[in-house]
Amino acid sequence: MNEMLPLIQNETLKIWKKKRFFVIVLILVVLIPVFTYAQLTVSRNNAEKFKDWRSQMIQQIADYQNTLASDRIPEEWKRYRRVAIQQLQYYLERDINPNAPNAVTFTRGFMNNAVTMFIPLMVLAIASDLVSGERSSGTIKMLLTRPVRRWKILFSKLVALTLYVSLIVVTTALLCYLISGLVFGYDGWTMPVFTGFQINGSEVDSTFVHAVPQWQFMIMQAGLVWFSAMTVAMLALMVSVLVRSTAASIVTMMAAVIAGSILANMSSSWETAKYVFSVNLQLTNYLDGTPPPIEGMSLVFSLAVLAVWAAAALVVSFGVFTKQDILN
Amino acid sequence: MYRSTSSARLWRIVGLTALAATLLLLGGFVYALQDMLNPRLPAPAEATKPSPEASQPGLAEAAEVNVVAIGDSLTKGTGDATGEGYVRQVVNGLSDLWDKPVKLLNNLAVAGMRTDQLLEKLKRDSGYRYAIRQANLILLTIGGNDLFQHAQSGAEEEGDVIDPQRLERMLPGALKRFEEVLSLLNRLNPNATVVYVGLYNPFYDLMEMRDGSLQVQQWNERAYALIHRYPQMQMIPTFDLFESRIGDYLSPDHFHPNHDGYAQIAARIMQSLK
Repeated sequence: MNEMLPLIQNETLKIWKKKRFFVIVLILVVLIPVFTYAQLTVSRNNAEKFKDWRSQMIQQIADYQNTLASDRIPEEWKRYRRVAIQQLQYYLERDINPNAPNAVTFTRGFMNNAVTMFIPLMVLAIASDLVSGERSSGTIKMLLTRPVRRWKILFSKLVALTLYVSLIVVTTALLCYLISGLVFGYDGWTMPVFTGFQINGSEVDSTFVHAVPQWQFMIMQAGLVWFSAMTVAMLALMVSVLVRSTAASIVTMMAAVIAGSILANMSSSWETAKYVFSVNLQLTNYLDGTPPPIEGMSLVFSLAVLAVWAAAALVVSFGVFTKQDILN
Repeated sequence: MYRSTSSARLWRIVGLTALAATLLLLGGFVYALQDMLNPRLPAPAEATKPSPEASQPGLAEAAEVNVVAIGDSLTKGTGDATGEGYVRQVVNGLSDLWDKPVKLLNNLAVAGMRTDQLLEKLKRDSGYRYAIRQANLILLTIGGNDLFQHAQSGAEEEGDVIDPQRLERMLPGALKRFEEVLSLLNRLNPNATVVYVGLYNPFYDLMEMRDGSLQVQQWNERAYALIHRYPQMQMIPTFDLFESRIGDYLSPDHFHPNHDGYAQIAARIMQSLK
């Protein structure tokens, strides 16, 4: 352990000095105002058209019901709509506005949308060159000629990566809150949010639905986002061990992540796609009761798929890294 | 391994912050799992009903006109290529005509809706009931699908789609439910002006279905008798519009009006509201 801590410190500082994290913060600082502005336009528009949020929700329900009445809408889409209608009605009956415009609600929505693409991309920015970067710059030889076991070196990289994944998730939420709060106001922490919807086909079972204050919801959501991000991080670490060039490593992982989000949108008829890790990244769906993209997916299923992928990635990473010959 | 005091400090800050973040997220993850995997039955939560608003003042006294439209595809505006339907045209027309603001709160029409479905909504759907309480002008079309739904879907066997006997059989039940719809509307919001748009025979120009108009007129007549009970309700006839000028006013689906057809309906509603 005494030799582990300096190694972790070294790896953490190396990542910090590469200024990747600053780039991530910079991206967030540029992009979040854009999304905030878009959201502001939407809320202004709604405020103009509707008397209050109830009218707006009632209209939304009626619009969904019209798509249900149409024969041209595919059955899978109708399933989402049916579930959404039942949830909207649940909120309406309890007189709670799930989309009250405030910084916390905005952050919740942003994290929900960021979990499949945005957060993974930011994780890749740090994870993808952890090993391949050392290889292309040649510093890997310095690292491996030291009297330290190889697995310890990789393990210290893994710990440092975990620390940064946590930093990314928390920083994203924090910046989102701080920036959007300028426009929407900083309250909303105690607003009740319903969770515990159980979905069977297109029926919503609300037996276990309970309200939690939004700040608790956010913590749960962030925890799930973190788990997804960690899976991506471990896979990226593996690719970075396997592939020599950083560019190839980033592209491989990005392709996998993007493929997953495309599959999630179109593959409800191809059931096997549910075993792909990137189809399972949206763990937050289970929290707010959105039906999963493919029938048969559940929280436990998704967690298991992600865990298996992550564990396999670790086995491959450590297996290869400790055996690999380092050539030029 | 290089060690300067500054990098030691950086490590302390970054390391501790990241560690705290990790612990927080881990805690959140465990909490989320616990919350979702071991659901506890919530305390029997009472559905806090939306506070029953004081009912709106009637159309004449109100400072602003709040329109809610309910019913079937005619109210939805199906067939109008501009998407306006008669509802939007009435709202736009009235805001030009009157000096108070006219606002469409909700158009809750769902294509294909029948009297039984509307009744169900009015009885159980808190959103519907809330919207209706907010309105002081309610636009309504219903009944067409009760009488014609067969004709619309099974157009290949046109011979018996408007089977007069079938229509005759449907009529009493549909009227009974229509009566209930009106009484519910009256109970939910006794002050709102209700405008019911009467039925027309979309198949008037097909020789063998021209007689469907007689059934439609029966509906219209008996619906009028029901509406007549409530002084705040009125009925707008449309059957005559779609007889000799049916080609001009019907959309290509040969069932719903087109933009001009809806404009005629809207014009009539405005005439009677003036």
